[in-house]
Amino acid sequence: MERLGTYLRGDKVIWLVVFMLSIFSVLAVYSSTGTLAYKYQAGNTEYYLLKHFAIMVVGLVLMYGAHLVKYTYYSRLSQLLIWVAVPLLIITLLMGTHINEASRWLTLPVVGISFQTSDLAKLALIMYLARLLSKKQNQIKDFKTAFLPILIPVVLVCALILPANFSTAALLFLTSLFLMFIGRVKVKYLLLLIATGITILSLFITIVMFTPSQGRVATWKSRIENFVNDDNTDNYQVEQSKIAIAKGGIINFDPGGSTQRNFLPHPYSDFIYAIIIEEYGLLGGAFVLLLYFILMFRTIRIVSKSPGTFATLLAMGCCFSLVFQALINMAVTVNLIPVTGLALPLVSMGGTSILFTSIAIGIILSVGRSVEKETRNVKTSKLRYALS
Amino acid sequence: MDIKKDILLRVYVLYFIMCLLGIAIVYKTFQIQVIEGDKWRQQAANLTTDYKNIDAIRGNIYAADGSLLATSIPMYDVHFDANLEYLTDDIFYSNIDSLCFRLSNLFQDKSEKQYRRDLITARREGSRYYLIKRNVNYNQLNELKSFPICRLGRYRGGFIYAQKNKRKKPFQLLASRTIGYDREGVRPVGLEGAYRQYLRGVGGKRLMQKISGGVWKPINDVDEIEAQDGSDIITTIDINIQDVAENALAAQLILNDADHGCVVLMEVETGEIKAIANLKRSESGGYYEGYNYAVGESTEPGSTFKLPVLIAALEDGYVDLDDSVDTEDGTTQYYDRVMRDSHIGGYGKISLKEAFEKSSNVGVSKIITAAYAKNPQKFVDRLYKMNLNEPLGLDIAGEGKPFIKKPRDKDWSGTTLPWMSIGYEVKQTPLQILTFYNAVANGGRMVKPIFIKKIVKRGKVHTSFKTVVINESICSRSTIEKAKIMLESVIETGTARNLRNDTYKIAGKTGTVQIANEKYGYKYKGKYSYQASFVGYFPADKPKYSCIVVVNAPSNDVYYGNLVAGPIFKELADKVYASTIEIHSDMVDAPIISWALTETGSATIPYVKYGYQEDLKQVLDFLNIPADYQSPNSRWVVTLSGDSQIKVQLRKLDEEIKKGVVPNVLGMSAKDAVYLLENAGMKVSIYGGGMIVKQSVAPGSRINKGLAIELHLS
Repeated sequence: MERLGTYLRGDKVIWLVVFMLSIFSVLAVYSSTGTLAYKYQAGNTEYYLLKHFAIMVVGLVLMYGAHLVKYTYYSRLSQLLIWVAVPLLIITLLMGTHINEASRWLTLPVVGISFQTSDLAKLALIMYLARLLSKKQNQIKDFKTAFLPILIPVVLVCALILPANFSTAALLFLTSLFLMFIGRVKVKYLLLLIATGITILSLFITIVMFTPSQGRVATWKSRIENFVNDDNTDNYQVEQSKIAIAKGGIINFDPGGSTQRNFLPHPYSDFIYAIIIEEYGLLGGAFVLLLYFILMFRTIRIVSKSPGTFATLLAMGCCFSLVFQALINMAVTVNLIPVTGLALPLVSMGGTSILFTSIAIGIILSVGRSVEKETRNVKTSKLRYALS
Repeated sequence: MDIKKDILLRVYVLYFIMCLLGIAIVYKTFQIQVIEGDKWRQQAANLTTDYKNIDAIRGNIYAADGSLLATSIPMYDVHFDANLEYLTDDIFYSNIDSLCFRLSNLFQDKSEKQYRRDLITARREGSRYYLIKRNVNYNQLNELKSFPICRLGRYRGGFIYAQKNKRKKPFQLLASRTIGYDREGVRPVGLEGAYRQYLRGVGGKRLMQKISGGVWKPINDVDEIEAQDGSDIITTIDINIQDVAENALAAQLILNDADHGCVVLMEVETGEIKAIANLKRSESGGYYEGYNYAVGESTEPGSTFKLPVLIAALEDGYVDLDDSVDTEDGTTQYYDRVMRDSHIGGYGKISLKEAFEKSSNVGVSKIITAAYAKNPQKFVDRLYKMNLNEPLGLDIAGEGKPFIKKPRDKDWSGTTLPWMSIGYEVKQTPLQILTFYNAVANGGRMVKPIFIKKIVKRGKVHTSFKTVVINESICSRSTIEKAKIMLESVIETGTARNLRNDTYKIAGKTGTVQIANEKYGYKYKGKYSYQASFVGYFPADKPKYSCIVVVNAPSNDVYYGNLVAGPIFKELADKVYASTIEIHSDMVDAPIISWALTETGSATIPYVKYGYQEDLKQVLDFLNIPADYQSPNSRWVVTLSGDSQIKVQLRKLDEEIKKGVVPNVLGMSAKDAVYLLENAGMKVSIYGGGMIVKQSVAPGSRINKGLAIELHLS
């Protein structure tokens, strides 16, 4: 452990949280891919386990790599990334692979791996936003010179994600909003923006409701209708999710004992939290929730010691987008909000999501590493003073 | 304010908001679990799992030689959900043409246009379960699954397949009524019905769980309750004899335009039913197995009943074969009724044996009234002792009840006894009459007809059915011998001389009876309706098989038992005799060579067809014909018949085929030539019978694959 500690720089608690979540992830994914394995892999349930495990190992390697990079490099990297992400989003929109009739995936030429470009765009936008916000701290309260230039990339990226993936776009928009809030943008402007956002959203909903049901629009339409009407007989997913939660009870320990995995659509991604509660009870579910809060708490601890605005915004942005998505996913599972189709970061099965989430945590750790270094430097200099 | 402090403050605000959200999540979880918990858990119990029935596979029914008489095969009903969400107009209309084209080609029942029209109508009407086709077999289903729209699967294409097991009889008509059926909602008949508890097996149960999309998957690898497949049943039916019986009966029914008929062939010693055919004229004029007349139809037997009647008188010692009786001019009066012989003019004074063989009603009735008029009860008792009043107790349902009138019955009159003696005012089914004649053939031992040899469960014999003896001895040995003499004389000098042949002896009795229709009495549309029958056994000196033929309501003015029923008996007996070597008694003792000697006075060596050396040798050795095998190792040989022996010489047929040229098959048998030529890839047609005298492709020509060659035999 001592040796490992010397390699794993940054906040050790965050590393621990990542390992704990990974354990939950492997258990829940293995349990919930039974149906999938039965359907596509002739009952070879280990297929999805091994695939998921391999991706997680790659994620950990990326995390380790990302945490070794000095955080200041991410500022410059973000400029490059945002220029890569936007064209990629456009390409995806035009010619991506269809899953559930949504163009979310892009198959990389040559390598032949398909990945969700919105995951890349999300990370790129957060990094870029952190850079812009920190650069404009001096005139941050100004509308024209600060607010507008900051807003443009946010609107652009979200608008490009929106047609294919409404929930990711909305989540990213909200995350950006909170990041702007932390970055000291005037609350008045933010409220104005929210108002505009709501207007656009209602406009969007109206258009959706009056468009003939086809493709994605139909999915959105039914989701909106179901939540508005609270028509639970139609809302199969929510019902099944609730059954899973109810079956779990307060205290339970039944790894692989879920039966609701057979009824829930996407039990390995969107509704994995329901499976976790079903198998490990309310306490197990609360523990997973707690892990995300520990992650956020430790990040706040890091940034409170951090040297600069960019570091603070970068780490908080990465952390917040992750934790916020996790909370949204859980809120969907327990039916606090309508079904969105967002994965539980680090836990759900799904290649790109895990990889980019790992990189995000790597970035937080990178900030943490430099904070550690500085405190150590301070300590050693203090020690030097004392010795001299 | 310091930027850093401001930022941190905002971070804490955000953290606080997140914490609220987190608490909300935990609370909501708690609410679902505790407050609404019971409701959801109840739903879970209803939804999740269910025990699904697993059908046992019904056992097969086999003929004695293992031929499959009835088996279950999976069939499918195909429906179409024309209103499926995923099936957009785009997919539907762009594929409908090629789908309909292929459907029409596959099923050949509706035209492409018709299919198109029906499917489009179904879609317009929003039908969710439109029937495409019933009883689609497995191969057709597989092909169907590759069609446009169908290939999208159940949930995207909307094609729904429901499997069911269909009972099939590979031999179709053959014994189909006796094999019977066991269907939902219909009273089961035949062997399917009689042995249903063995055939059916026991259904199993399997714990299944519902997967998203309405698909059920088994929870465990093995069924919770294994289905036990039904046992197989091996019948006594000989499929070859059955085939002959069915065809002979059909031919005769068509010839006489009869309403219905039946044939049963039974093994004398064991009571095993080797063939049972029942045919009935359909509305359209064809014949089909519609009712088991042999088992179920109880009618007045007529003249065939004269045998038990005379046996009774012989057994009671009232008469003997040579006692004479006066048949007068062929008519006699009993009270107000006149009894007539069918032979107009009568036979005058004849012996009892002659009265029987000529089937004289006057003769037989006079003998019986003379013997029993004072004590008719004794006559009835004797018939009862021979079990004629008891049903056979068959496993097959629906046996017709036999009926023998008793003197104390209300409708017993003065004319009852004489008419009973010629087979009226009593009722017997064909199978009951056959059982009686079989008992006579069996030396007096009456055995029950059996249809089943054994029940086989998972390849192991579960139950074997032994011969059941109804009556060890229906009468004394000497009476049986007398009965046999009477029965033989029917064929030698009596009413069934048309069945006589030199090869083997038949014993039996004809029967021609006016049948009473339930609605119209004996006369219908001013005409009598007749039932012609023949029952007997063969070979007469060593009975192996007994057989009954009954033809009802022949309508072409020919109705005598010997003419209508006799030929069917003869054809069947010939076939059975020819294929049952063990009853050819004289052949084993005297090899053919001695026959050849007696025929011509000197030992002629027969001419032998060319062919396969090994077979040839076996035959020649068996018949003790001397031969000189000059090329003992070659497969094919030619023969040269000399004065004292046959020279067997090499014929190079294999070698020629190897060279790729047509061999010379002249002088060979069709069996060997076809084997040889078809194996070499040629298509052979045969004309005539005997020995090959001409081949259409000259020897030495090149063999091409599929080369057609005609062989003429004489």
